[in-house]
Amino acid sequence: MKLTKEIIDALKIKNPDDIVVYLTTSSIDGKCNISPQLFTDVYMDEFILMPDLFAVKTKINFNENRVGVVTIAHPAERKTWALRGPCGHIEWGLPDNYDFQGVKAGDILKKWGDWSEKESFPSLPEDVRPAVIAQRGVIVLKVAECYSFSAEDSGRKVL
Amino acid sequence: MAKLTPRMKNWLEGLGAHIGTATKKGFPTTIVVESAKVEGDNMVKFQLSNAQVEQIKQNISENPQVAIGPAGLGCIRAAYQFKGIAKLEGNILEVEVREIYCTKPGPEAALRLDTLPYENIIKFESTRWRDTGPPK
Repeated sequence: MKLTKEIIDALKIKNPDDIVVYLTTSSIDGKCNISPQLFTDVYMDEFILMPDLFAVKTKINFNENRVGVVTIAHPAERKTWALRGPCGHIEWGLPDNYDFQGVKAGDILKKWGDWSEKESFPSLPEDVRPAVIAQRGVIVLKVAECYSFSAEDSGRKVL
Repeated sequence: MAKLTPRMKNWLEGLGAHIGTATKKGFPTTIVVESAKVEGDNMVKFQLSNAQVEQIKQNISENPQVAIGPAGLGCIRAAYQFKGIAKLEGNILEVEVREIYCTKPGPEAALRLDTLPYENIIKFESTRWRDTGPPK
């Protein structure tokens, strides 16, 4: 599903910490995990990318259940979007032609495999930024649906 | 049993939370609630809209496991994740928190806090964050 310009503009790389999202995943038997993601970008207008920085439980879930939901956490004013779809991780070491939902590992890792080239981690506040940057790969969510999370319209399809 | 600290309570009550639910086969749905009320050591109650109830009631009935992350600025300033068992009482979602994790990006991500002695959780917080709740 192609995203609107408004959603793309919100999620594309600008400044570190300018938008923070939550990524919700689940084990195959329904135990959820919700983790904040400080960095996002958009690829081909429909894939949301996030660096894998110690995403321990999230990756355990991906190994058995490849689906996720991204919700805008901050700032969320007029950005009450929940973006759901197939979600997985492309790790360093995968062959370049490894395919996840139509994107190739080589293409993703070449451009986003070292996120610190794109955004300055040290510019984040000290009590927020990771003490050590050790990027293992890139988390990829292919948006299949977008619903509102505003209280009165929660669940209403936006796209 | 998990016991929330005053700082955790202040952030949840001040800004609400993103709440992850799922079917029993693991298909997730997230809702966002703007405030909460913490009762006792580990009970968190959320007032839901009718639309939110409709959105998650099937998930909760077949799978009461939920995960909670503080909303707004809390996503980065209050880097906790709460996992527990939920039930719907009318439009109130009641969550008994059973597990608490740190979600601060980096090597402490996924560190389980509720298994530490309570005094150590307080000490952990005080060495990582200066505030005791969201800005007024």
